[in-house]
Amino acid sequence: MSTSNTSAQGQRLGLTCCPTCTNLCQTQNKTCPRCGQEVTSRDYSSIQKSWALLITAAILLFPANLYPITVMTSQGQVRKDTIFSGINHLIQLDLLPIAIILFTASILVPMLKIIGLCIYLLAISFEVPISKRKLMAGFHIIEWIGRWSMLDLFVISITAALVNMGQLFDAKPAPAATAFALVILLTQLAAKVLDTRLLWDRLESNDDRT
Amino acid sequence: MDRDVLDKSIVLCRSCDLVVRKRALPSGVRALCPRCNSYLYDTPYCSINGMLALCLAALALYFPANFFPVLELHFLGSVRTTTIFGGAMSVADQGYWVVAIAVLTAAVIAPGLLILSVLLQVLIVKYQLHNPFFRKIYKGFLCQHNLISQLSMLEIYMISIFVSVFQLSDYTDLYFGIGTFCFTMLFIVVIFLQREYDIEHMWSVLNEYK
Repeated sequence: MSTSNTSAQGQRLGLTCCPTCTNLCQTQNKTCPRCGQEVTSRDYSSIQKSWALLITAAILLFPANLYPITVMTSQGQVRKDTIFSGINHLIQLDLLPIAIILFTASILVPMLKIIGLCIYLLAISFEVPISKRKLMAGFHIIEWIGRWSMLDLFVISITAALVNMGQLFDAKPAPAATAFALVILLTQLAAKVLDTRLLWDRLESNDDRT
Repeated sequence: MDRDVLDKSIVLCRSCDLVVRKRALPSGVRALCPRCNSYLYDTPYCSINGMLALCLAALALYFPANFFPVLELHFLGSVRTTTIFGGAMSVADQGYWVVAIAVLTAAVIAPGLLILSVLLQVLIVKYQLHNPFFRKIYKGFLCQHNLISQLSMLEIYMISIFVSVFQLSDYTDLYFGIGTFCFTMLFIVVIFLQREYDIEHMWSVLNEYK
């Protein structure tokens, strides 16, 4: 890989790439010649939008984890499971691999996403000096792994549809399911909305230049 | 600066706005941004006829995968089955429509739209590219493509089926239906379709008739 003119920002050359079709555009044109969508060099409001979505998601994380997510009836006994107690139950049943998958998808990923995005946004908003390469690597992981949280919702929908035999054997979703769905949605949006180029506008350490 | 030369010789990193000079790549190799490691470009490889075949195969599998049961549960002599759609509906019936919409979008609507959109794009490229009306539609599809492909989460649904099987197999007997087979095949075909599809190449097709 080579860069002839090291660390030149496209902004300085008056160029930008179209967010919709990744075509190279001139900033003064305002619209992309190929797909006709608007182009701007930087989206400064994206930090605000991202913060708003992220804070909402962080608040919703509490009901998602504290309230029960499924109600299971087995031979007259009613069990309300929160995300955590459900995983605990799986460990007791000796289903360790499944427990690990569910733990990663429904506890680890949403929390790491919120914490990671928080660090990322703090680094942009308050100019916290953290290595940008590491931040960016973290961001790529967050973007890729985020969708796997949907796993939990799919499992709930499959189980709820299959297991409905009244007092004998029954599974139903419980209030935390909605909160959890919203957490996934909002964190995904917060990552998608953010204009990551803002992070690279200030290059303070040698590590950031290549 | 000549715009045409400009377009071909440099590329801007979408994540950090670095100016990178383009080089020819061997096929199957991706160029990453030297500063932030984001994906930049690769050699467009995409065969229109191959995509058409995959689209038709996916379309043929899409309906049985959605209307035949993906799982069958036998409990004390009674048999319960569920489809993907049925799973979402049963969650909605309980009042958790946020969850239901998330499941429906990720597992039914988005994959369907993805297949349909790629199919129409391929057909337009093959037969109608000279027609300005169809070119406009084609452009619209390309603009929406990233969103649709991000929303479609067949692979996660696939894993969810297995997780539910393991979770429930302690209580009851579970059987896979013909729907499971169709869904698995659909999932495989869509993976290949997404591998074959290259949005940069599809955009560049549009320029050829200008």
